[in-house]
This record gives sequence, structure tokens and C-alpha cells, in this order.
Amino acid sequence: MDVNEVERETGTITVSLLGRFDAHESERIKTQLHDALERGDHNIDLDLSEVNFVDSSALAVLTSSMKRARELGGDLRIVSPSAPVRVIFELTRLDRAFVIC
Amino acid sequence: MRSVSDLDAYRAWASTPIAARPTYSVVIPCYNEELRILPTIGAIATHMSTLGEPWELLVADDGSTDATVQVVEDLDLVNLRLLPAKQNTGKGDAVRRGMLAARGDIVLFADADQSTPIEQFERLLAEIEAGADVVVGSRAAEGADVANKSIVRKIFSNGLRLVVKGIFRIPVADTQCGFKMFTSDASTTLFSRQLLDDFSFDLEILYLAKKFELNTVEVPVRWIDAPGSKVDPKKVAMDFLSDLSVIKRNDRHGRYDKPNHTVVEHQRRDEWSGDEQIHKAA
Repeated sequence: MDVNEVERETGTITVSLLGRFDAHESERIKTQLHDALERGDHNIDLDLSEVNFVDSSALAVLTSSMKRARELGGDLRIVSPSAPVRVIFELTRLDRAFVIC
Repeated sequence: MRSVSDLDAYRAWASTPIAARPTYSVVIPCYNEELRILPTIGAIATHMSTLGEPWELLVADDGSTDATVQVVEDLDLVNLRLLPAKQNTGKGDAVRRGMLAARGDIVLFADADQSTPIEQFERLLAEIEAGADVVVGSRAAEGADVANKSIVRKIFSNGLRLVVKGIFRIPVADTQCGFKMFTSDASTTLFSRQLLDDFSFDLEILYLAKKFELNTVEVPVRWIDAPGSKVDPKKVAMDFLSDLSVIKRNDRHGRYDKPNHTVVEHQRRDEWSGDEQIHKAA
């Protein structure tokens, strides 16, 4: 899975993922997101427009990262999720936990 | 990549009962999949809803002891049918129940871990439309894209492949991939006769397809080894070898000559026509 990280302004970044986000990718993404949070990028917009599938391990990474971001006074938002990802968030009721825009 | 209309198509499917006999049925056998089943249902439901044909989803549970059944029931998707089981009998039993309950003209069964992404559906469909009765998604056919398969699985897979081809002369390189498509008639013919309830059922089905001279085609698919697989390669291989002789013996004793499971057990109700029709297995 491809990952692209762009800093939009101080403390805010957009991370774009491309492909399948599953257990094979979750540790790498978790590390990347938590590294970003720890270095001061507390607002993360996660662009999932080009992700075609997220599994339970991916959702766990997103949830833990979102919680950490909020503890630090920021947030992890889901931006432009693809249709299957949007549906998966709804079925798992995580659409109620995340800001999705 | 995906448009708003894809979401609309899914929402319509999720909330409005289909008004015609389904063109497609997708069967997901599952056992203790409370963590994996929702993403899989989400991916499948979204993709299948974009195809523009009425379709249904069947989740055939194999006696899960976790929250799988509850999680699926709570979804309240009107075109999803849950087929629970009182006890854990084996993947073959779950698949059979699902396949015999399916009402579609074309029926796919797909593993609950989405190891073969549902986007591969159209690859198999093209072969059905070209005249195949049975289409086998294959990790071994030329052009297949296999990711993250453990070395142990590879060794056992290759070994079994040699045995299956040598003894059964089944011209399918990958009998075990959990992504197979059937015409309704082929599905009824095969699954009504199936006797094995464990992982060897795939081989039995393909053996029967050859016995009944059904046009069987193998299609390379993209496949990703999903962690948390319930497959113990060594155990499956040993059971497989034992079941090979069972299949041969069953055939010698005529146990496949007539259906062993009638569709009376799995009524196919034509709700859209208001008629209740009991379809006898072929």
C-alpha cells in the first residue's frame, strides 16, 4: 500500500493511503501515525479516497490513533472515504466515532 | 475511484428488498469471524450493488461461539440472509447450506476474510457468460497474483496439487481457493450431492463437476493471505489425503448418483411472486 504524507500547515498534515489497508500494513501505518502525533502534528486528515478495503486491524489502528490525537488536543479525521470504506465505517458504527468529511 | 452513486446503490440494496429473482447470490461461510465479517460484508455489499443487477447475500454460519451471528443479525440488511447452525460441523457444511439456499442464477461462495477481493467477481462472471458451469478462482493459474502466502502453505499446496492431478485427473491447479462461482443448475447438481463437511469439500465438488461433465474453468485471481486464517496447512493436508480415498469410495458405492440433500430442507421461496415453490434438487 502506498502512503503519501503532506504537511498543510504547522501541526496539521494530510496522509493519503492508496490500496488495501489490512493487517499486513497496519503496524507500518500505526507507527507512521503515532510518530506524526508525537512530533507535534496533532491534526491528521487521513485521505481514504483511494483505499478499497480496510480490515479490523486497520480500523483498530485508526481508532487508537484518533484517540491519541484527541488526547493531545487534536484529531484524526477521515477524509473522502471511498464507498466501500464508508460502508465499512457504517457497518462497524465507527462513523459515529470519527469525524468524516 | 468510487462515486457517490456507488454509495446510493449500496444504500438502496441495504434498505429495499429486491423485487425480482436475484441474478447473483454471494455466499459467505463463516466460523468465529466477529472481527472480520463486517469489513467483508461492507466490501462485498458495496461492490455487488454497483453491478446493476438484483442480488442477495447469504452468510452461512458454522456454529460460531463468538459474536458472529449477533453482529450479522444486528446489521438489519434486508437482502442479507443469515443461516445459523446449532453446532460447528465444518466449512463444507456451511457452504452447502448457503449454496442450496441461494436463489440467484449465478452463485459465488467467497471466504469471510476477503483474501480474494470481491472485485475479482467479474473475472469469474465473464467465464460463466462464456458458457462455463463452474468457475474456480485460482492462485495457481498463470496470471494469478498471490501475496503474503506463507512458505508452509506453499509447500503443502504444491504437494496436494500434484496428488489431485495425478490421482483424480482433475484439470484444476488450485482446488482449494475459497472463491468459486456456479450456475444455479450446476450448484444444485453438485451441492445436493456433496457429502464431505470439512475442507476437502472443494475437491469433492470439483470431482463431481468432472463426473457430471460440467464445463469447469479456472481463472487466475488476486489473492492475499489474510492473517488469522483458520487453515492449519499440515492438518488440512493430512485430512485431505484421507478424504481423497473417501470420495473415490463414495463414488464406487454409487453415493453420488442421486442427491443426498434435497432443497426441501432449504426452501427457495419466491417472495417476489408470492408463491412458495419447493424446488426439488436435480
